[in-house]
Amino acid sequence: MREYRPHAQGAARPALAIRELTVDFQRRSGLLRTVDKVSLDVWPKEIVGVIGESGSGKTMTALSAMRLLPHGAKIGGAIALGGRDLVNIGESEMRALRGDRIALIPQDAMQSLNPTMRVGRQVGEPYEFHRKQSYGAIWSKVVELLRAVKIADPETRVRDYPHQFSGGMQQRAMIAMGLALDPELIIADEPTTALDVTVQARILKLLRDIRDERGSAILFITHELGIVAELCDWVYVMKDGKVVEDGPVKRIFEAPKADYTRMLLEATPSIHRRKGAKR
Amino acid sequence: MSTAIRKPFNWRRWRLVVTGGAIVGTILLLAILAPWVAPYSPFDLNVAQMLKGPSATHLLGTDELGRDVLSRVIHAARLSMMVAVLASLVGLVFGTLIGTLAAYFGGIVDLILMRLMEILFSFPAILLAIVLMASLGTSIFNAMIAIGIIFIPGFARLARATAESVLRQQYVEQARAIGMSHTRILVREILPNILAPLLVEAAVAFSYAVLLESALSFLGLGAQPPDPSWGNMLNTGRGFMGVAPWLSIVPGAAIFLTVFGFNMLGDGLRDAFDPQLRDE
Repeated sequence: MREYRPHAQGAARPALAIRELTVDFQRRSGLLRTVDKVSLDVWPKEIVGVIGESGSGKTMTALSAMRLLPHGAKIGGAIALGGRDLVNIGESEMRALRGDRIALIPQDAMQSLNPTMRVGRQVGEPYEFHRKQSYGAIWSKVVELLRAVKIADPETRVRDYPHQFSGGMQQRAMIAMGLALDPELIIADEPTTALDVTVQARILKLLRDIRDERGSAILFITHELGIVAELCDWVYVMKDGKVVEDGPVKRIFEAPKADYTRMLLEATPSIHRRKGAKR
Repeated sequence: MSTAIRKPFNWRRWRLVVTGGAIVGTILLLAILAPWVAPYSPFDLNVAQMLKGPSATHLLGTDELGRDVLSRVIHAARLSMMVAVLASLVGLVFGTLIGTLAAYFGGIVDLILMRLMEILFSFPAILLAIVLMASLGTSIFNAMIAIGIIFIPGFARLARATAESVLRQQYVEQARAIGMSHTRILVREILPNILAPLLVEAAVAFSYAVLLESALSFLGLGAQPPDPSWGNMLNTGRGFMGVAPWLSIVPGAAIFLTVFGFNMLGDGLRDAFDPQLRDE
């Protein structure tokens, strides 16, 4: 039975379509399969969560779509970004897409900013590389981007160096960089793991606003169920390199079909259950 | 957050840098201003004034042809500084290039480049310099090239090690994720982040270059007479050690002071930039 997927209605094709994806590593003992026949769709304007424990292959799946897998990884299957094949194109074609049509928001923003460059300069890099615009022309756009991700006083902040930003602001700057060219797809790889809960909530709201206002599709990788419940429209649950289940968020949380999903849900600490157990 | 707290100037942390910098600065200034500072021309012969000891007219005495030693030692500083600067620059530029490329591309590129560096490293420095000078011909320009080549492997190793650690940083990965090319990643992400230790190394190489240049000139492979160089002055002075010791002492002291100053500056910079030594 196919479940109703609102974002798939009326859309010509998915922003990202992954079919039977496999990622293998050559080990001395043979091939090590980290992603095993994963199929996954992200429709335009949809926020799709991929959830699973560490080692479940969720990050490998996401990196495959960017073609940024570690050295020695072999991709099988098909990946298409808005109908464009990503598996068989050359490296320079792929490079032209990265940061332009497909953007990555990394896990650790602090580590992802070059300490020797001003934040504004870095956030403007997509314009510089993909649109060949001059530093002067970029400046005002970068200020607008920083304003869009709700960084206070962007006119002065563009001149700051990364260490002058707080953790939340650094993550906002990374999001701004990802937004620069209005990509079809934003891949967020656990972007809130390094942040405290209040900042985390604001970042999640920001991502939702971005989807609503700019219409980018978002693929959100996380191991935190709470975030998925809060943010996503559709969820894929991964374990040992396979998708064990997918469906709308509400149904996954209320009536999980796979045993693993049920285990995952039960493993989450809950204040209600604790009270109940005592009674 | 953006308002930096101004810390009071930490004299203990910067004393080596300041002292070394003062010595180096004085020597550099003398070298640059040599024609105006030196009391006489370094080439003017005055047979009547041969081998005269220090006096009011010739502060550091005269040599076997009656030339003013002070003027010659100041002009020699010019030559030594030029050689040292250019040789360190040759080492820094090519060493950094080779080391960074080896680290970035890894694999076979790394293997070939670093093995070449090790071959170069395995020769004693002075022997390698003599061999290079013999094949290039003796001139001060070639001495500079030879010394620069000797420096390349040291810089290459340092650049490679530093670049390796920078390469593992997330921001290099992120640069790839926004579609930066190899060249851009090398220039914008890696180079600025490996520069500090390389510049410190350059200060140390500089003092070593002064020593090597003096050694080569002493052996007659560097500056050719009548051009003054600390090395060939020392060589001339050797013959008059008994009658005119100042001929050896003055260039010797100049070499000592320069090397001392640069080593102090290099050590000081390294300590000042080392976060673990910062707050003791």
